[in-house]
Amino acid sequence: MADERTPRATRSDATVLDHAPALGPLYARALLTAPGRGGELTEHEVTQHGARIDRERLTAYDRVCGFGVRDELPATYLHVLAFPLQMVLMVDRSFPFALPGLVHVRNRIVQHRPVRADEVLDLRATARNLRPHAKGAQVDLVAEARVGDELVWEGVSTYLAKGAEAPGQALSGHDELEVSLPDDASPAAVWRVPKDMGRRYAGVSGDVNPMHLNPLAAKASGFPRMLVHGMWTKARALAALEPRLPEAYAVDVAFSRPLLLPATVGFVASTAGGPDEWDFAVRPAKGGREHLRGRVISV
Amino acid sequence: MAPPATRSAVVVGGNRIPFARAGGPYAHASNQDMLTVTLDGLVARFGLTGERIGEVAAGAVLKHSRDFNLTREAVLGSRLSPHTPAYDVQQACGTGLEAAILVAGKIALGQIDSGIAGGADTASDAPIAVNEGLRRALLDASHARSTVDKLKALAGLRPGQVVPETPRNAEPRTGLSMGEHQARTAAEWQIGREEQDALTVASHHHLAAAYDRGFFDDLVTPYLGLTRDQNLRPDTSLEKLARLKPVFGKDLGDAATMTAGNSTPLSDGASAVLLASENWAAEHSLPALARFVDAETAAVDYVHGAEGLLMAPAYAVPRLLARQGLSLQDFDYYEIHEAFASTVLTTLAAWQSEQFCRERLGLDAPLGSIDRDKLNVNGSSLAVGHPFAATGARIVATLAKELHDQPGETGRGLISICAAGGQGVVAILEAVK
Repeated sequence: MADERTPRATRSDATVLDHAPALGPLYARALLTAPGRGGELTEHEVTQHGARIDRERLTAYDRVCGFGVRDELPATYLHVLAFPLQMVLMVDRSFPFALPGLVHVRNRIVQHRPVRADEVLDLRATARNLRPHAKGAQVDLVAEARVGDELVWEGVSTYLAKGAEAPGQALSGHDELEVSLPDDASPAAVWRVPKDMGRRYAGVSGDVNPMHLNPLAAKASGFPRMLVHGMWTKARALAALEPRLPEAYAVDVAFSRPLLLPATVGFVASTAGGPDEWDFAVRPAKGGREHLRGRVISV
Repeated sequence: MAPPATRSAVVVGGNRIPFARAGGPYAHASNQDMLTVTLDGLVARFGLTGERIGEVAAGAVLKHSRDFNLTREAVLGSRLSPHTPAYDVQQACGTGLEAAILVAGKIALGQIDSGIAGGADTASDAPIAVNEGLRRALLDASHARSTVDKLKALAGLRPGQVVPETPRNAEPRTGLSMGEHQARTAAEWQIGREEQDALTVASHHHLAAAYDRGFFDDLVTPYLGLTRDQNLRPDTSLEKLARLKPVFGKDLGDAATMTAGNSTPLSDGASAVLLASENWAAEHSLPALARFVDAETAAVDYVHGAEGLLMAPAYAVPRLLARQGLSLQDFDYYEIHEAFASTVLTTLAAWQSEQFCRERLGLDAPLGSIDRDKLNVNGSSLAVGHPFAATGARIVATLAKELHDQPGETGRGLISICAAGGQGVVAILEAVK
């Protein structure tokens, strides 16, 4: 596998994958290569050409996240395809932060048009915008999907490295995602999220981060119980809005607080701006600070 | 109070997904998935995004209990306005056509201006029920107040009772499958193997030709990699079909004629048809392909009445003809659902039988024969497949388009669909030019 032998990237290195790498070995490698990280971002770029959709895997993803079985891909499914490339970037020794301890705090996806399951995709991932933050340092893992020359999808995952340092200036205002939802808004739906939802999402997404699979690993990461992936929560929220989304849109979410399992949460949504534009949040059903807040806008 | 004035309900157009064989590409798609994408295809075809439709009536025959509101759930998952009401209909294989009759009737009465009729069925994603003994024990346990009582309720379970029950395609009152019933009817009417196979070949060839000339381009939307009906065999022939062994009525010996080829396969799929008042269609700049003229349903006593399970359309059609003052020959097209090739052939034979028409239908003369060149001209269920509740809307949309496309000032088509429980649903469409 190309990633296993990838040397430390130089300032403008490129890794070309012929298939998506399995994430289990990458997580193991992330642990082994954790010490000694630092420095600045390199121009490292990871690409995969000719990615095809496995319909059975897609259907399983649809079921776990609540999407209907359609020929168009959920916008969050492209993240599932691009995430292994981002992992290759982060596991590489040239990446300034160790993966353990990185927190996914924000995810913004732009769907330029619906992508069909029979389309062949070229995927690309880079890391950008290393910057200081009040709690440490942040970096954006940026991914894009093209069909031929056409850019059809972009994803930006922002990670926080608590206590880390980074050169430059903190981005002002970038941190906050403002949504207009009353604190006491009654939920449009109540979701009962079972204890094994992290395992189920790991099964369909390939993201086998141990803290989602094993209570001990969760404790080792500082959580009292297993937690579900933030990208499941985002996908579940998007699925709830599925028939009411624009053709081309951006969906931006901030992961405010881990969703520990099992959980009963409320989904709150309200139209914002245009008829197909939404503010939404996932909150504990019994009240308290939200797990996720998000916004859909037409692009 | 005077009866309400009526107006015409017209067929605007239809949409379906290609039908798949059970266990094929739709094996993991649910009825709700298929019905939702079928509605969305209709929405895309006719620009109905966000449109509040008068109602959506659809259903499924093989249905999970959790799908009690299947059609409404599909509407909520579609791009139709969430203010579109919906309800489920179930009349076995007659479901889709019965849904169209309901919608057309409300339009005719002025109760709604637009409506969608449809249906979905999956033989792949069929419900599996718990054994009756286990079901009873679980319910008793959930009703019990104390833990001891709960345990008592469950204690009586025997190992055999935890084996689930898979659905069977059998009539509850006879225990016979539909194929076994029809095998008896076919033998009684002495329907030969070769004429069944010939009808089957025609169905496949007609369907293939219709696809080849682009007839289905605005009736079918690809789904999960399927662009044509999976069961379609364009190169099938009498020789190939002749090699198949009978699968139904094997106890009839030489009179066993029904094979996997001249019977419909278990299928997955969904269909929908948009109906409206002429005004509504005009206001939305949408076509009116055909008028939904009239319909009739009939039922036969196949349990004790010495009548074949699938013979009800033979009774429904003459009643409809009498009401409309038409003869069986006054049609340009006949759409007779091919549950089995022998169903079509026994129905036609019954209408030609002086004895049947006199004794069973009370007619002075037989209805007579039809011009076979007008029968199922774009193929039917033997080639397309037959997801039970999806067949009605498929036929309504297909016939309406054929009527509209044909040259000439007028055109009239007859639809005849047989259904489990000894029922038959039939209807008449007329071209709008």
